[in-house]
Amino acid sequence: MTKTLLSPAYIMIIGLLGAPIIIGLFGILFPAFGYFPALGAQNWTLHYWQQLFSAPGLLSSVLLSVFTGVMVTIMSVWLSISLVAITYQTQWYKRLQSLLSPILSVPHASIAIGLLFLLSPSGWLLRIISPELTGFLRPPNWITVQDPFGLTLTLALIIKETPYLLFVVAAAIYQLKPSQTLETCQSLGYSRLTTWRKILLPQLYPLIRLPILIVLSFSLTVVDMALIIGPNTPTTFAVLLLSWFNDSDLSYRYVASAGAIMLVLLIAGIIFVWELTRFLLQKMARRERINGKRSGIGDLLLLIGALGGAASFVISFLSLVILPIWAIAKRWRFPDALPSQVSFSNIAQAWPVLSSTTIQTLIIAITSTLIALVVSIFILELLRSNAKTFAANKRFFGNFYSQKPLLFLMYLPILLPQIGFLFGIQVLLISFDANGRYSSVIAMHLLYVLPYVYLTLSAPYQSYNQAYLLEANRLNHKPAINFITIKLAMLKASLCTAFAIGFSVSMAQYLPTLIAGEGRITTLTTEAVTLATSGDRKKVGVFALVQIIFPILVFFAAHTIPIHWTSWRLKLKSILRGQFANRT
Amino acid sequence: MLKPIAALTLSGALSLFGNLAHADWQDTVADAKGETVYFNAWGGSDNINAYIQWAADKIEAKYDVEVKHVKLTDTANAVNRVIAEKAANKNTLGSIDLMWINGENFRSMKDKGLLYGPFSDSLPNYKAYVDPNARQSLTLDFGTPVDGMEAPWGMAQVIFMYDTATLETPPKSTQELLTYAKKHNGRITYPRPPQFLGSTFLKQALYELTPYRKALSQPVSTIDFDKVTAPLWHYLDQLHPVAWRNGRSFPKNSEEMIRLLDDQEIDVALSFDISAASVQINKGNLPESTRSYVFTNGTIGNTHFLAIPYNSQSSAGAQVVANFLLSPEAQAHKQHPTVWGDLSVLAYDKLNNEDKQRFDDLPKGIATLSISELGKTLPEPHSSWMGALEKEWQKRYAN
Repeated sequence: MTKTLLSPAYIMIIGLLGAPIIIGLFGILFPAFGYFPALGAQNWTLHYWQQLFSAPGLLSSVLLSVFTGVMVTIMSVWLSISLVAITYQTQWYKRLQSLLSPILSVPHASIAIGLLFLLSPSGWLLRIISPELTGFLRPPNWITVQDPFGLTLTLALIIKETPYLLFVVAAAIYQLKPSQTLETCQSLGYSRLTTWRKILLPQLYPLIRLPILIVLSFSLTVVDMALIIGPNTPTTFAVLLLSWFNDSDLSYRYVASAGAIMLVLLIAGIIFVWELTRFLLQKMARRERINGKRSGIGDLLLLIGALGGAASFVISFLSLVILPIWAIAKRWRFPDALPSQVSFSNIAQAWPVLSSTTIQTLIIAITSTLIALVVSIFILELLRSNAKTFAANKRFFGNFYSQKPLLFLMYLPILLPQIGFLFGIQVLLISFDANGRYSSVIAMHLLYVLPYVYLTLSAPYQSYNQAYLLEANRLNHKPAINFITIKLAMLKASLCTAFAIGFSVSMAQYLPTLIAGEGRITTLTTEAVTLATSGDRKKVGVFALVQIIFPILVFFAAHTIPIHWTSWRLKLKSILRGQFANRT
Repeated sequence: MLKPIAALTLSGALSLFGNLAHADWQDTVADAKGETVYFNAWGGSDNINAYIQWAADKIEAKYDVEVKHVKLTDTANAVNRVIAEKAANKNTLGSIDLMWINGENFRSMKDKGLLYGPFSDSLPNYKAYVDPNARQSLTLDFGTPVDGMEAPWGMAQVIFMYDTATLETPPKSTQELLTYAKKHNGRITYPRPPQFLGSTFLKQALYELTPYRKALSQPVSTIDFDKVTAPLWHYLDQLHPVAWRNGRSFPKNSEEMIRLLDDQEIDVALSFDISAASVQINKGNLPESTRSYVFTNGTIGNTHFLAIPYNSQSSAGAQVVANFLLSPEAQAHKQHPTVWGDLSVLAYDKLNNEDKQRFDDLPKGIATLSISELGKTLPEPHSSWMGALEKEWQKRYAN
C-alpha cells in the first residue's frame, strides 16, 4: 500500500501556508456582509454590496484597471519573449541579463517617480529640448502623465514587468535546450525567429504561465505606482479601494471589503478568460505552425517586440538616471536641462533616518530571504522524495492529495490583492499581540518572498540530475554533507539568483511592512513612499538612490560569486596548502 | 456654631479640590516617567518631522518620557489601526498613544468611542494659556463639539502662493480665479478632493458663491443640498475646461502644487500652512520671488488637534506630551517661520511678558503673511459637508 502523504511535515507546511490566507480572506469576507464586531456590526446584510455597485465611478475604475492590467500583461509577455528570441545566442543576450538586475531590483514606486520626472510636461525630456527645439519657456498644458486612459501607468508597469518576465523566461529556457532545437531547425532551413515562434515558444508558455498570471494580478491591483502615475479622475479600482479603506467614514470599510472580494473574483475571471483566449489562439495558430513554411510575417512581430523591449529598457534607464540627479539638485527649474545649483545637503539631511532605516531594511530582507530559501529547499526535497507517493495518491484520490494544494497555497498571496487581504491579517497579528515586531514583519514578508524564491528555484532544482548525488553517496556515504557539497554546490547559481530575487522582493514591500510593522518598524520603501507623497523630488531621489544600491549589489554578487566560486575556492585552498607546505 | 464649621469644611474641601487637581497632574507626570509615547502624526513634511523631533528631545530631558514619531502617510491608517485593535479586543495595550487628528477623523473616533478622555481642558497649559472663546474652532472641530476629547495643537488657514516674477496681480477671489483661468489656459488648479486641502477649496468656493451661506453651518441632511451647491458645480463646470490638464487630472496635495508652481506649470498654489512659501524658498523648492496672499473676503481656517486613543498604553505620557506641546516655548518654536510656521493656539493676552517676548521675537519669513495680513478667517462648515461635497465631486468629475 502507498505511504500516506499526510506526514507531519507536509501537514505543518500546509497549515503554515494556509492559515494566514484563510484568516486574511475571512477578515474581508465577514465585513463585506456586514459582520464586524469591532464596530458593533453583527447583522449580516447585503447592503454594502448594493452600496458598492451604486458607487460613482465604479464601472470606469474597474474598466480602467482591467484595461491596464491586461495591456501590461500582453505587452510585457510580447516584449520579453521577443527580446529573448532575437538576442539568444548573441552577445546581447548576456548584456541584457546584466541590465536586468538594476531594473528588477528598483522598487516600483521609484520607477514611477522617475518616469513622472521624465515624461511630465515639465519633465526632463522637455527640459532637454526646451526652449531650443520647442520654444517653450514654460511647460505646456499637455496631459502626458496621469492621462485618463492610464497609458502612462501602463507604460510604467510594462517597464517594470518586462524585465521580470525576461528574467523568468531566461531561467526557464534552459530546460528547453534551445540551442539544439535551433541548430536542428536551422539545418532544416527554418529561420531563427520561426523556430522560436513555432517550436520553442509553445513549449515555453507552460513553464512561465504562473509568472505571467502573477504579472496580470499584480498589474490589476498595484497601488503605489497607480497613486503616483495613474489617472485620478477616476482612479484605478485598487486605488479606489484603498481610499475607501482609509475613508474617515468608517462604514466605507464594509464597502471596501466587498470591493476587495469583487477584485479577487475579477482577477479569477480575467485569469480564466486569459487562459481560454490563449488556448483558442494556440488552437487557431496550429495550422500556421505546421504549414512547413520556413519563415513568415509572424517573425516581424518578434522583431517589433524586441525593438519595443529595447525602448522600454532605454526609458527605464533614463528614469533611473534622473533620480540621482534630483538627489543632488538644489535649484532646478524649467527649462534648464540640468540643475542650476547642486548640493549634497539633501543627502546629509536624510542621513540620520537613512542609516537606521537601511539597517532595519537589511535585517528584514536578509532574514526573510534566508528563511524562504531553507523552506523552499525543504519543500522541494519533500516533493522529490515523495514523488512516487504523490503520483500514486493522485491516481487513487485525485488532485487533492497531489502537490497541487501546497503550491496553490504558496502562490495564493501573490495572486490575491494585497489590499484587503492584509487588513484581514492585521486583526490576527494584533490579537496575538505580534504587531510591530521584527518577527511579524519578516513573517509577512515571507508570504511574498517565499513564492518568488520558490518560483525561481523550483525549475532548476527539479531539473537537477539526482544521479550526481546518488553517485556521490555510493562513492562516499555521507548524505548530509554530499547534499550540501554536491547538490547545493552544483545549484549555487540558482540559489544565488533566488536569494537576489527574494531580497529585492522584500526590499520593495510596502503594505506588508506598514501593516505588520505598525509604523514602528520602517524600511527604505515605507520611508520612500511616505516621502513620495510629499512631492519632494530631491528627497525621493536620495531614497531611491539608496534603495537601488543594495539590491544591485546583491544581484551583482549573485551573478559574480557562482562564476568565480570554484576558482576562488581552489585558490584559497592552494594558498592555505601553500602556507601549510611552507610551515612544514 | 454650625455655619463656621460648614464654611471651614467647604473651604477645606475646595482647597483640597484645588490641591487634588494639582496633585492629579503631579500624579500624571509621575506616572508618565519612563513611558514611551507612540505619536502617530502625518510624516510627509520634513520641517514638521524635525519639529516633532525637537519636542521629543525636550520632553525626554524634562519628563523622562520617550516620544517616538510614527510617520503616517494618511491619518486614516492610524484610525484603522485603532479599529483593528478594538476588533482584536486589545483594549489596554494599544499601539498608538497620541495622534494628530483632523475634524472628520475626530468625529468618527469620538462617535465610535475610540478616544480617551476628556483630558484636554485639565492640562495645566490649556487652563493657563488657552482662551476657548478666542475662536469657535477651539471648541467646535468641524462642527463636532470637542468636549475635552482632543487638545488643540495649532491653527491653520488657507493661503495662496504665486511667483511675482510671472504674475503681478494674483486673483483674489473665487470668481477672479475663474476669470484668470479663462485668460491663462491651464495655469489654475486645486488638489483633488477628497484630499483635505482640495475639499477645503470646494468649501471656500461654495462659501463665496452660494447665496445660502447660513446653510453651511447646518448638517447637510437638514438642508436642500442641490439648491445650496448649484452655484459651485456651475462654477467648476466652467473652471475645469480651462484648468490645468483641462481638469482631467488634479494635483495630489499642496506639496505637488508647490512643485508645479516651481515648474511654472501652474500660477497659483494653495496651502494650509501659512509659512509654506518661506519654508520652500529656503529649501530651494520655490523661487525667491514667491509670495503668499489670501482672498479679499477671507479664507477658511481651522484648528488641528491631538487625541489619545481609548486603549493607549501610555495615556499619562501622552498627556504630558500634549501639555508640553501647548507650552509657550513649544508653541512659539512651532510658529517660527522656518521651523514650521504653524499658528499658535495660545491667547497672547494670557501669556506673561517673557513668553510674549518669545512670540514678538519671531522672525517673519520673506513670504509669510502676518496675523493681520491673514485677514478674516472663514469658519469650517459643519463636518457633514465635507463628505457630501466630496461624494458629489467624485460623482461629477471623477466618473
